[in-house]
Amino acid sequence: MIIAVILLILALLGAPLFSIIGGSALWGFHSEEINLQVVTIEIYRLAEMPVLLAIPLFTFAGYLLGESQAPARMVRMAHALLGWMPGGLAIVALTACAFFTAFTGASGVTIVALGALLYPALQQAGYPERFNLGLITTSGSLGLLFAPSLPLILYGVIAQQASLDTPVNIDDLFLAGILPGLLMVILLSGWSMWKQPKGQLTTKLDGREIFAAIRESIWEIPLPFLVLGGIYGGYIAVSEAAAVTAVYVLIVEVFIKREVKLRELPVIIRESMVLVGAILLILGVSLASTNYMIDADIPTRLFETIRAHIDNKWTFLIALNIFLLVLGMMLDIFSALIIIIPIILPIAAGYGIHPVHLGIVFLANMQLGYFTPPVGMNLFIASYRFNKPVMELYIATLPFFFILLFAVLVITYFPSLSLVFLGP
Amino acid sequence: MLQRGVKILHNIEDSLLVIILLAMVTLAFSQIVMRNFFGSGTIWLDPLLRVLVLWVGLLGALVATRQDKQISVDVLTRILSEKLKVISNIITRSFAAIVSAIIAWHSFLFLIDEWHSGVTAFASVPAWLTESIIPFGFAVIALRYTFQVIVLLIKVVKGAPDQ
Repeated sequence: MIIAVILLILALLGAPLFSIIGGSALWGFHSEEINLQVVTIEIYRLAEMPVLLAIPLFTFAGYLLGESQAPARMVRMAHALLGWMPGGLAIVALTACAFFTAFTGASGVTIVALGALLYPALQQAGYPERFNLGLITTSGSLGLLFAPSLPLILYGVIAQQASLDTPVNIDDLFLAGILPGLLMVILLSGWSMWKQPKGQLTTKLDGREIFAAIRESIWEIPLPFLVLGGIYGGYIAVSEAAAVTAVYVLIVEVFIKREVKLRELPVIIRESMVLVGAILLILGVSLASTNYMIDADIPTRLFETIRAHIDNKWTFLIALNIFLLVLGMMLDIFSALIIIIPIILPIAAGYGIHPVHLGIVFLANMQLGYFTPPVGMNLFIASYRFNKPVMELYIATLPFFFILLFAVLVITYFPSLSLVFLGP
Repeated sequence: MLQRGVKILHNIEDSLLVIILLAMVTLAFSQIVMRNFFGSGTIWLDPLLRVLVLWVGLLGALVATRQDKQISVDVLTRILSEKLKVISNIITRSFAAIVSAIIAWHSFLFLIDEWHSGVTAFASVPAWLTESIIPFGFAVIALRYTFQVIVLLIKVVKGAPDQ
């Protein structure tokens, strides 16, 4: 107990999370008098999960895309195709961000890469500044629920370790995210139409511009079809899709479009692998701590304690929503997944919650946590990027927060939204 | 002299990351091509790719420590005063150094056992070789945090003149 308190204080003081989790695993095994070499064996399991290959490959591809002109081309194309609608430009922003985040995994890259393009464009179209700030900051985590987003894959990896009665398939997660993700995009689009500045001229549908935009993006357009078609069609596994994406993006951006120079490649690789390393390190040590927790029956005991107070699934889901919202403000999505999922997955299963539904609920909540005041990460990234006080961003994101909170509640209490495409 | 050595080490880490990632991309892709168009993949490629994931992860973690980009909670540190921040950094980094050192040490012992037992990971590659990145990685991480603590301590003793 004292150890747990010390670890908690250290974590709050900013100790690297891997050391907290690793420390708790070491302490746990030590007090059970188990040889600490077991920690090495657990970390080595990182080399025994085929699907993990997808993480470095997708991250690399995402960083590479972010460094190229692909975001600008994507915005142009979205504008040509959607700009004519009421609230068109805002919807362009939402669509582009959701799409980009799905491929880059919501590590704040979206705000940095797309914000610079979309913010001035929105400003020019006459949207109020506060609306623009709120929209861009919110969109920075939109798209988490769409394949092939990294958090979805990571959830699948972790859930597979839990060996539940209902196996969790990553392809199922990709299917489950579609409707909840669309719900969020649609609700935010509706709000944008409502907030459209009066007398704003929407751009006309221009065949020539559409043609030019498509021609410019001709190399990137096949990418989603390649990846999503391959996975949803059952032709390739997730890690294979990641390999195809990495090769494709590498060839297009470096050798065909030549927007990323060969000598810039090492830095891009290094920066993307720093993120991958930080995630995998936490995952590695948490395999050890999870193993210890399951040995010590901690999830079961927690479940019994919780069940003494919460007797049904719905009350549990409300408590879960609140808990995850607070968690999402404090932890980034990757560590939250790695640390919390092994604990709550068995508990949720005890309440009869489908593990795939739990995953979608978890990620939807985390998405909200990205911009929940006072400490959501994207608030600070946007504050830094647009040079605005964080306080202004709190106010700017507030309406968006309530809209997505509503979406999260719908996603939580209507499991069929997530599970409708899954087989029986 | 020391600085040059450190710089060379950084370059080696960076180069290894680049080489391993590009190898992963190439090998994973060629495996798909071979499997789908020639009906036969190479048996040892899949385990090799999985080991490379571990390697790229730990090497990335080394660099993350170097760049101070390890994932941590920064709720409290954002509101701490400059002086308290230095103190909390000393405490938390020392802790991280100790944990990493313990993992490195026990991984090293594990490696020696594996070396004696002569187990192979795949093809004729010995298991200790594929596992060696674990003690190495954690040892370097432990050293890095130790250095960071020393630098911070010197700063405290000198009374933070750069303010």
